[in-house]
Amino acid sequence: MTRRERRHWHVSDDLVTRYAAGDLPEPDAWSLEKHVEDCAGCASRVSAAVRGTAAGAVLARVRAAVLESAPAPAVSPAPTAPRAPGASPAPAASRGPAASPAPAGSGAPAGRPAPAPTPAPTRAPAPPAPPAPAARPALSRLARLLWAAGPAVRGAWLPAVLVVAAAALSLSYLAGFAGARALLLAVAPVMPVAGVALSYGPHADPLHEVAAATPGGGLRLALTRTVAVLAVCVPLLTLAGLLLPASGAPAAAAWLLPGLALALASMALASFVGCRVAAGVTGGGWLCAVLAPVAVAPGAAVTARLSEQLSRCLDGTATQAAWAAAAVLSAALLALRRPAYDRPLRP
Amino acid sequence: MSSLRVTGLRVRHRKTLALDSLDLALGTGVHGLLGPNGAGKTSLIRVLATVARPDSGRVELLGDDIAGHRALAGVRRRLGYLPQEFGYYPGFTVREFVAYVAWLKEVPAARVPAAVERAVARVGLADRVDAKVRTLSGGMVRRVGIAQAIVNDPDVLLLDEPTAGLDPEQRVEFRELLRELGTSSTVVVSTHLVEDVAAACTEVTLLDGGRIAYRGTPEALSLLGERAGGPGDHPIERGYTAALRAHRAPGAREAVR
Repeated sequence: MTRRERRHWHVSDDLVTRYAAGDLPEPDAWSLEKHVEDCAGCASRVSAAVRGTAAGAVLARVRAAVLESAPAPAVSPAPTAPRAPGASPAPAASRGPAASPAPAGSGAPAGRPAPAPTPAPTRAPAPPAPPAPAARPALSRLARLLWAAGPAVRGAWLPAVLVVAAAALSLSYLAGFAGARALLLAVAPVMPVAGVALSYGPHADPLHEVAAATPGGGLRLALTRTVAVLAVCVPLLTLAGLLLPASGAPAAAAWLLPGLALALASMALASFVGCRVAAGVTGGGWLCAVLAPVAVAPGAAVTARLSEQLSRCLDGTATQAAWAAAAVLSAALLALRRPAYDRPLRP
Repeated sequence: MSSLRVTGLRVRHRKTLALDSLDLALGTGVHGLLGPNGAGKTSLIRVLATVARPDSGRVELLGDDIAGHRALAGVRRRLGYLPQEFGYYPGFTVREFVAYVAWLKEVPAARVPAAVERAVARVGLADRVDAKVRTLSGGMVRRVGIAQAIVNDPDVLLLDEPTAGLDPEQRVEFRELLRELGTSSTVVVSTHLVEDVAAACTEVTLLDGGRIAYRGTPEALSLLGERAGGPGDHPIERGYTAALRAHRAPGAREAVR
């Protein structure tokens, strides 16, 4: 549909042979692959050549097996599906009624700008996407989970988590600071709270107004984002903690239950006062509890006192059990407050 | 049979009364929502979209009172909404974006890819389906917004200023799409552009100061304009100003309803 004026050349027979044989230098192979995305003539020649090779035979078998196992004519290619270089020019005849025709007159409105130079292949005419099992439920569920999580782990939050982990490591190993793990453990439980506050709600999510009118845009979306936030910062911060010398601080995993409890408490509290205030209360409360004794009486043994205070807050079975209980209670409160997530939370 | 019924609706917006004891029942077709700035169009659409909570009054969508938690989820699966200020994730492709909204609307996973293709094709963006949203022009982003609203084939479709940013040709195409959608579902379109109403709507509701100033067909509004001869370049524009004046005239508040 879209005419590409910039096309100067077509793939020569020599290039086709060398591509199929696999001894074309990579940059040349890339240009060839980019070209055949748009040029049906070259695509069919390259495709024919590749089918003649050993790889082609394997691809044909794979394709046959896939077509056999696919229950319905899967219409749309999964957006994240990687495109095997040899397979992309393969004939797309099997792909049912894929691209339904656009409404009348929408072919090329006058005001439409030229195609962007970004790699955004216009696949409309005969999509050369591989006849992969696109709609395989597990794969598409994962893909959608990543979309939902995508906005959550964006912006300033992910760099912040990385900076916290990197700063703790470099304080310890480059500056020889002994209290790095204690500092990391003091900050770590706040990170999930911050992540949730920065990813859900009218102030944080550009799509919030649309999401608020959908059945899944309430608590389900908030929980998905919380899980995404935890999935990023739990391994990252725990691993960083493990790499740091203990020097009197609690174990590297001691922050996990407090982190979970604070995140759930923030979400429950957010149903009353909104995400930002809730995160301020829980995260700020934690920081005050941990840092206050240090700030009140600054002295030479700051790190020792921080470690001591952290031990009070984190060490011991009873303390951890109390955090677990707090997490369960917060979860119960959140379940009770679930209807509050039906409408947009306070900003 | 009205799929959308509002009784005694009152909505406050920033301490002013945006909607004042509003009664409205709408059925299948395209309903234009006209009115000056601050008349309460967006407030009404946000309440109908189940986003804003009314201060008082009853809102029934598709036969269910949306005050209940359970009924709400069912209604929302059959709802499409394009807000006036339409935010998006710039890094998503059109396909990913529309599929993400389909996921939010709980469209069954197996149907999502086909539903996305169809919705994107209906707004004429089939050739840009794998382009990043940030590479699109303003009008195209608006069309992505329309695509996300219709991806679940909604029974109630609410569009707040959908033609803002569309060029004339795209607006003509969009009206075509509206007429098509209006054959099977209840479409409510808020707009500033009186021509859109004349061309695509089966019914007009004119809001002023949080109350209904006029209800009727576009033809009747044009006729009113020809008879009353208010200012305007187009019969329906004259009808619009005439109806507003009649509504604002002292003592006429209750009469025009």
